[in-house]
Amino acid sequence: MQKIYLFGLNHRTASVEVREKFALTNFNPLKEGLISQDGPITEALVLSTCNRVEILCVGSAALEDVENKVLNTWAGFCAADINLLKKNMYFYQDLGAVEHLFTVASSLDSMVLGEPQILGQLKDAYRKAVKDQTVKVIINRLLHKSFSVAKRVRTETAVAANAVSISYAAVELAKRIFGDLSKQRAMLVGAGEMAELAAIHLLNSGVQEILVVNRTLERAQELACKFQGQAACLDDLQDNLLTVDIVISSTGAPSTIIQARDLKKILKKRKHRPIFFIDIAVPRDIDPDVNLLDNVYLYDIDDLKEVVEENLANRKAEAEKARMIIKQEVDKFAQWLKSLDLNPTIVDLLTKGETIAQRELKRTLRCLKQDVDEKTYSAMETLAQSLVKKLYHEPIMFLKRRTREEENAQKFIDLTRRMFNLDNEHIPENAHKDRKR
Amino acid sequence: MISLRIFDLGIALLYFVAAIQVLAGFLFRQKKLQSLGNYLTVAGFGLHSIDLGLQYFFSFNETLVQGQFYFSLLAWAFLLVFFLLWFRLKLKFLSLIAAPLALILFSSSLAISPKVIPIPPRLSGLWFALHIGTLFISMGFLAMAFGAGIAYLYLEKKIKTKSRLSSFSRDLPSLTAFDRANHLAVTWGFPLFTVGTLSGFIWAAFTWKKIFTWDPKEILAIIIWLLYAYLFHQRLALGWKGRKPAKLAIIIFVLTVISMLGVNFLIPTHHSFKP
Repeated sequence: MQKIYLFGLNHRTASVEVREKFALTNFNPLKEGLISQDGPITEALVLSTCNRVEILCVGSAALEDVENKVLNTWAGFCAADINLLKKNMYFYQDLGAVEHLFTVASSLDSMVLGEPQILGQLKDAYRKAVKDQTVKVIINRLLHKSFSVAKRVRTETAVAANAVSISYAAVELAKRIFGDLSKQRAMLVGAGEMAELAAIHLLNSGVQEILVVNRTLERAQELACKFQGQAACLDDLQDNLLTVDIVISSTGAPSTIIQARDLKKILKKRKHRPIFFIDIAVPRDIDPDVNLLDNVYLYDIDDLKEVVEENLANRKAEAEKARMIIKQEVDKFAQWLKSLDLNPTIVDLLTKGETIAQRELKRTLRCLKQDVDEKTYSAMETLAQSLVKKLYHEPIMFLKRRTREEENAQKFIDLTRRMFNLDNEHIPENAHKDRKR
Repeated sequence: MISLRIFDLGIALLYFVAAIQVLAGFLFRQKKLQSLGNYLTVAGFGLHSIDLGLQYFFSFNETLVQGQFYFSLLAWAFLLVFFLLWFRLKLKFLSLIAAPLALILFSSSLAISPKVIPIPPRLSGLWFALHIGTLFISMGFLAMAFGAGIAYLYLEKKIKTKSRLSSFSRDLPSLTAFDRANHLAVTWGFPLFTVGTLSGFIWAAFTWKKIFTWDPKEILAIIIWLLYAYLFHQRLALGWKGRKPAKLAIIIFVLTVISMLGVNFLIPTHHSFKP
């Protein structure tokens, strides 16, 4: 019986220093001897990101052997103290490991709940493992399942909905006001990390153009170059307010640079087209009274923080729903694991055959209606049943032979299950579109 | 006539199911249910168009003097305008007001007993058709501007006060989209309304030999026209956007509803649908 093991460190159990020390970038399980001919481990996958390092492996040996092998190889590869690893590590086995992997893939275990990078990283790790040929039936299936679980969580819960970063929250608000941003111009007043991030998000959301305004024209031009936008001097601020729709302000000015009474005149000139101010400067750049004017919207850094916190709380609530989904999927996976033994597969195969036989028999009888007497009926029944048995006889004998002769006959059992679709899975038409022809 | 009646009931049922689906779709955030409701509205609208055509061509003289025909026509005009906005602005949200309104109007058209109004068949004149057609479509625009205005005020307040957005308001279209619905209602609706009112007076001049009869409905129509003209001017000349035009459109629509229902049914007037 194959067992699934998962060893790992993450941002909760280990500090950055420890995670750095035990990073497993470019770790090849075959080359490093984690998987060997007679070793305890038959399949392995390594996930190493800045927030987590995990080794997922499958083997039929006892836990102690597997643990020794994994930890020794790991510490050896990193040339670090094995005790430090043991102290910071977590460990899951079988269904616990499955559940943990599903949780990670659905980004419920991420530093920022619901952020989707981890799924991409997991896909990369899997691709590498496939290339290195270190994964077989169980991890293959497990990873494919974890991708589909992540997708299910994403579509059925709002765990990844709504921005949880300040710059992105600002962009979402802009969309709520303007809808499509493709006809909107944005203006960056002053520069700063957050303002630049917001500008990048705005550009990604299709904003028409970015105008950079700074005290020194040089610096403005430098930034404008980065966003392929235009540059202007701070003295022209009032004029530029006539043409822009989104203003992100983050100057170091000691007092407000845009006043409500000035804006009133500007609004008339811009024919009351709405304008959205995002003030991320402290002290604030924009007179708070601006928000009292019609068609003017102002959010300062505290407002945005509040939005972000609300969204985070929302995600946490949704995470509970996601955990329910994961529980269901773990159950399904457990059933599949069990079915990898020979006997359940034979039973499933024969049951499926008999169901088909019965169904076809009924259909034929419906066509013939009254013309069938008792004797013909039982003859037909026998015919259908024995056809099924004869057809499935050879595959079953083949599976039995392989299980007797080979250690690793699971791939044939799995293949049979998939060939006859014994798990009644729905396979979408484009399921393999990413594979090469 | 009986078969036409069954046909009518079928349309009412379609509108009913559509309205329920649209409402439920918004409440429970089921996108599929919503669009299903929208497509049912389209189906109902198609049948409704056929129904109106049949009524018009087969019993021409009776139809035009029956109150129920006009209610049915009004429901049809509302939906027509809704589809226009859906097509132009991708503003599916307004189905929330279009589907129930069509349902109410259409079913009340069924409820009204088909008595004949004692107005001579001079009704079939060009001026009268113009009067009814343009006014009904401009009312459709006003109804949509009313729905969009309410949604705008609600969402705008939420954004301004930085209050928590419920899942319902997260699904709403943007403020600009609602404002554009108002813009369309003003730029298309006002000229139509003007033509409608003018053609009414011209028709009155021909049939009653009197342009203005101090009928309560006529007085109200003048007031509505003045307000509408003000909105038209402010919006197009001064570039009013957002809250003010939204509020004004709501007021104008409420007044038209009063003139449509209140005056017709409660106060004596020669615009009545009742005999």
